[in-house]
Amino acid sequence: MEITLLKVTAVVYLLATASFIVYVVLLKEFFARLSPVILLAGFIIHTSALGVHFVQTGYPAIMQFREALSFYTWLMVGIYLLVQLRYRLAVLGCFIGPLAFIMSLAAFAFAAGREEIPPALKTYWLPLHVTLAFLGNAVFALAFGVSLMYLLQEYQLKSKKVPKLYERFPSLETLDRLNYLFLVWGFPLMTLGIVTGSMWAGIQWGKYWSWDPRQISSAITWVLYGTLLQGRIAGGWRGKKAALLTIIGFAVVLGYFLSGGALFPSRHAGRFE
Amino acid sequence: MEREIIIVGLNHRTAPVEVREKVAFDSSVLGGSLRRLCSLPSIQESVILSTCNRVEVVVVAADEQTAVRDIKNFLAEQECAQGLGGLDRHLYVHSAEAAVRHLFRVAASLDSMVVGEPQILGQIKHYYVAAHEAGAVGTILHRLFHRSFSVAKRVRTETGIASRAVSVSSVAVDRARRIFERLEEKTVMLIGAGKMGALVARHLQRSGVSSLMVTNRTFERAVEVAGQFRGNPIRFEEYPRYLKLADLVVGCTASPEVLLRREAVEQILKERKQKPMFFIDLGDPRNFDPAVHELDNAYLYNIDDLEGVARENLKGRVGEVHKAEEIVGEEVTAFLHWLGSLEQVPTIVALRQKLEEIRKRELEKSLGTSLKELSERERQALEDMTSAMISKILHSPITHLKRQSEEQDEARYVDALKKLFDLEEK
Repeated sequence: MEITLLKVTAVVYLLATASFIVYVVLLKEFFARLSPVILLAGFIIHTSALGVHFVQTGYPAIMQFREALSFYTWLMVGIYLLVQLRYRLAVLGCFIGPLAFIMSLAAFAFAAGREEIPPALKTYWLPLHVTLAFLGNAVFALAFGVSLMYLLQEYQLKSKKVPKLYERFPSLETLDRLNYLFLVWGFPLMTLGIVTGSMWAGIQWGKYWSWDPRQISSAITWVLYGTLLQGRIAGGWRGKKAALLTIIGFAVVLGYFLSGGALFPSRHAGRFE
Repeated sequence: MEREIIIVGLNHRTAPVEVREKVAFDSSVLGGSLRRLCSLPSIQESVILSTCNRVEVVVVAADEQTAVRDIKNFLAEQECAQGLGGLDRHLYVHSAEAAVRHLFRVAASLDSMVVGEPQILGQIKHYYVAAHEAGAVGTILHRLFHRSFSVAKRVRTETGIASRAVSVSSVAVDRARRIFERLEEKTVMLIGAGKMGALVARHLQRSGVSSLMVTNRTFERAVEVAGQFRGNPIRFEEYPRYLKLADLVVGCTASPEVLLRREAVEQILKERKQKPMFFIDLGDPRNFDPAVHELDNAYLYNIDDLEGVARENLKGRVGEVHKAEEIVGEEVTAFLHWLGSLEQVPTIVALRQKLEEIRKRELEKSLGTSLKELSERERQALEDMTSAMISKILHSPITHLKRQSEEQDEARYVDALKKLFDLEEK
């Protein structure tokens, strides 16, 4: 049941992606309105899949890597839909749509199998930690999207060209403001994610901080975003510089998240042996 | 009753400007002209459009030939009053589908001298409202014009025809919009009082820029130009101090040396905390150091750059026109469909009434005689049953009639129905 729902979700995300692409290529206003609605439909199905999991197991779907990936996608799409409601940024959907589809597809690539949750892990620090960390992360995914758009728009203004594809891009100021907005929301969430993570680590591993690769990569990103935020507030960092830093920061997070600790084995990562 | 949409008019292609000027309707006489037009027995509804590029009379009339003759006379009178002969060869006549298509194309700015220019829609709305106020508009023109507004909107949003700026000023505004979120909150500094600079400044102001500073070597001239724009004049010696307040800087002086160097702009940007700046260099020789463009958050376009973009955009419009014509085609079909259904509505109503009358009469007759004994419940059941029968019988002819209006021979069906059921209007 849950798996079927997730499969349907992936298909609907694919449809939304197609619709977003049609919008950007043909610039038909109709698709700017249609695409978020399709995405919303996918989100609702996705929500019900997560709900089914919770009802069946009594625990949020975050225990396996594939579940975590799916949960993360869900949060990202949800935040995008909220942003869309307020800012009408259908173009941003062209980044979020495909990302959502690829990630929900990737979730299937990882082995399923109902692992028994070790009783030691059944504490509520874990879902709290995962939710906060992922929320922060999902906001950064959006910051990544607007930063990429910023660089494209900036490039075309600097090159004095007018590729048709960028016709509906928001202004540089809008994109930069959104970058700041996402940073202001994402950073505290990420901080809380790290704090709750260490609390949990303290309970499970006996140490709040153990120089685990996962902890190190979070720390790097945290410092990077912290510096950026402080630079933006105090030093007038904005525009291209801010966009580039945002992209680098997100690449660190995403890189580690997707490699699943394969390169730097961690006690954290997807499985909980 | 036959009703035809007819357009008689002239435009920038069929008539030279002298003729267009003579025929044009001044807004002071428009109301009177409309009433005069509508008082003609051949004409049921009318709207007059009169811009510097076209004069068109749009009417709904029962008899095309009479109406066209009347409108031509009407226009000739208008022109004769100004003393000019031989109007007829400048006039074109469109009727039925061609008329609908023509109006939609005009509203969508496909018939304009500069294709895609946005003013025409506002002008059509204005003349429609005038006709409406003069009581010259009925059901058909009401619908026709409102459809034309939405065609124009569709063309504007669904094709790149209007979004592509094709003049130096509009490219400047377009670039500014890509950099800044709200032009309403931005400040422009105009350096020099050249004609091109004033033109760009005016365009920016029309697009929402509210605050404007003007500087010029002769302060009196700065005061004069600032007065035109309701801006603030600034002494030439002092303007560098104010630069950090400006989001857009338009240079239009004949100064032999460069006014703003890269280093200076770098400093200003620092003071502005890197808030973006847009420099528009219209000067000859160049007023701003080209290296300014290399700085982050600074964008410099000179007149050649703007012209280059404008030329590219003009090329891009050709393909968009094709898309726009397709939209017009779709909308023409939809409108004609509606017009067709308008014809059948009375027939459908009459048919339904006729059958309902028969049902009532027969029911009453029977209930009064042979079925006198029936109880209230049974009477009700009989009532329901006969009603349902009528609906069932009518269902397929009405569906066919409605579907028919998409095809050509609808009139024959309507006709046949009228004859078969004796539905002639009483």
